[in-house]
Amino acid sequence: MREKVSAIVLNAINDFNETYGKQIPLELAEDIPLFGKQGVLDSLGLVSLVVSIEQTLEDELGVSLILADEKAVSQRTSPFRTAGTVIDYICKLMQEETQVCESPSH
Amino acid sequence: MFIDFMMDHFVRHSEQEALIWQGKSYSYRKMNELVESWQTTLSQLQLPPGSVVALEADFSPSSVALLLALIERNCVIAMLSSAVMDKKEEFCDIAEAEYIISLDSEDKVIFVSQARKADHRLLTYLKAKGHPGIILFSSGSTGKSKAAVHDLVPLLEKFKVARHAKRMMAFLLFDHIGGLNTLLYALSNGGTLITVQDRSPDAVCAAIEKFRVQTLPTSPTFINLIMLSEAYKRYDLSSLELVTYGTEVMPEATLQKFYSLFPDIRLLQTYGLSEVGILRSKSKSSDSLWVKIGGEGFQTRVRNGLLEIKAESAMLGYLNAASPYTEDGWFMTHDEVEVDGEYLRILGRASEMINVGGEKVYPAEVESVLQQMEGVQEVAVSSEPNPITGQMVKASVKLSTDESLSDFRKRMLQFCRDKMPAYKIPQKLVLVDDWMHNGRFKKMRRG
Repeated sequence: MREKVSAIVLNAINDFNETYGKQIPLELAEDIPLFGKQGVLDSLGLVSLVVSIEQTLEDELGVSLILADEKAVSQRTSPFRTAGTVIDYICKLMQEETQVCESPSH
Repeated sequence: MFIDFMMDHFVRHSEQEALIWQGKSYSYRKMNELVESWQTTLSQLQLPPGSVVALEADFSPSSVALLLALIERNCVIAMLSSAVMDKKEEFCDIAEAEYIISLDSEDKVIFVSQARKADHRLLTYLKAKGHPGIILFSSGSTGKSKAAVHDLVPLLEKFKVARHAKRMMAFLLFDHIGGLNTLLYALSNGGTLITVQDRSPDAVCAAIEKFRVQTLPTSPTFINLIMLSEAYKRYDLSSLELVTYGTEVMPEATLQKFYSLFPDIRLLQTYGLSEVGILRSKSKSSDSLWVKIGGEGFQTRVRNGLLEIKAESAMLGYLNAASPYTEDGWFMTHDEVEVDGEYLRILGRASEMINVGGEKVYPAEVESVLQQMEGVQEVAVSSEPNPITGQMVKASVKLSTDESLSDFRKRMLQFCRDKMPAYKIPQKLVLVDDWMHNGRFKKMRRG
């Protein structure tokens, strides 16, 4: 599953590069710095990228997650530092969702 | 008494066409007879003068005659139309209607007396004064519908000034300030009111052709639908001289496109509200969104970027809401405007403004850009909360293509890149199947 999520996120960054004419260094793959120290995005760029990832996750994997909410913003370390941390954060949220869904008897 | 000036015209123009309904012509003589016949009927029914009457109708010979007869009987008339049928009971309660008169599509009249006595301060005030009144409900597109009560005596005053008689389409509904304005304007000047029961682009364009309509008062949404449906190509609209638009902000792209298709039709932006009536207005030019508003009986001022109006014929107040007036008697429209000398440009409702990380975005300007894209039939822009920038721009789009959301997103970003700053480009997109305007052809941005 992590591979699929990774592909979606890196794809979204690729599209983002093309449409906004940005120069995000794709070769860094999961190490691409997104937001914060050395980040390549401003807050608007982050909003657009995150919403586009959310919509692709829904379209392709059928999971609806809200990545940018109070919870994400209040994490001790931001989930939006790099492409890798975003992917980890998505997987974590998906796991939490699944646990809630799969363990109604507990 | 109150409509003598109008009835004088009815006599003077007796052979002229007053109204066209279901394809049939009704002369001023015929309308005069109908008004008199309704006055007799109301007396026979012993409807007490000053009663509060809910009148549920569309434009027709009987509804118009009955409205005038009720005015002559000092009644306070709560105007209702098919657009608010789901709220009929609620509105009758708010208006404290003592009678409900409904006219069906065949002009058959149903009269129901209610077991209630109106005692709202504004209603008893009118009754004591012996003045007829009118209750208009605001659209409620940005919240709860509010009931505005007007004294009809000052409201009718401005129709006593003679103006050009025209053949006008009764497009805006019977219970809308714009519809009422069209009705009173046409009949006060010996004009002709062309009514339509079907307000689809094709039916309206067909009526324009058939009855040689000169003036079409409408909304930006409907102008957009006329162009999208290409109904204008199927009918001869050469009789049209003036198209007025109001009720919502005109997207620049819609205006420019219509102007390029019909350079000879004058386009006039109107500005009116259920609470203050319709102001006289003058667009800088047919392809300009800058407009001068005011006219006799109206003053305007802008405070903190918001338009305020002082009107001699403003409503007395709301039946169901607090006073919207400033302490010195100005009506707060909550419309944000830009000012250039005498001209104003309406940006949008303050409540619909989107704040993206401190930058202001008005739905209409974003809609105007997106509407120019191939395949976009209708677009409604609204705000969506986002913890990073506070709010973000969300666009709901109805497409005629079968593109996927991500394909459309790419195309939209490409299209918008050199037309708007990044913060105005919708961060969130939703594809919808249904049209997003209401029965009054006004865009619904919420829900």
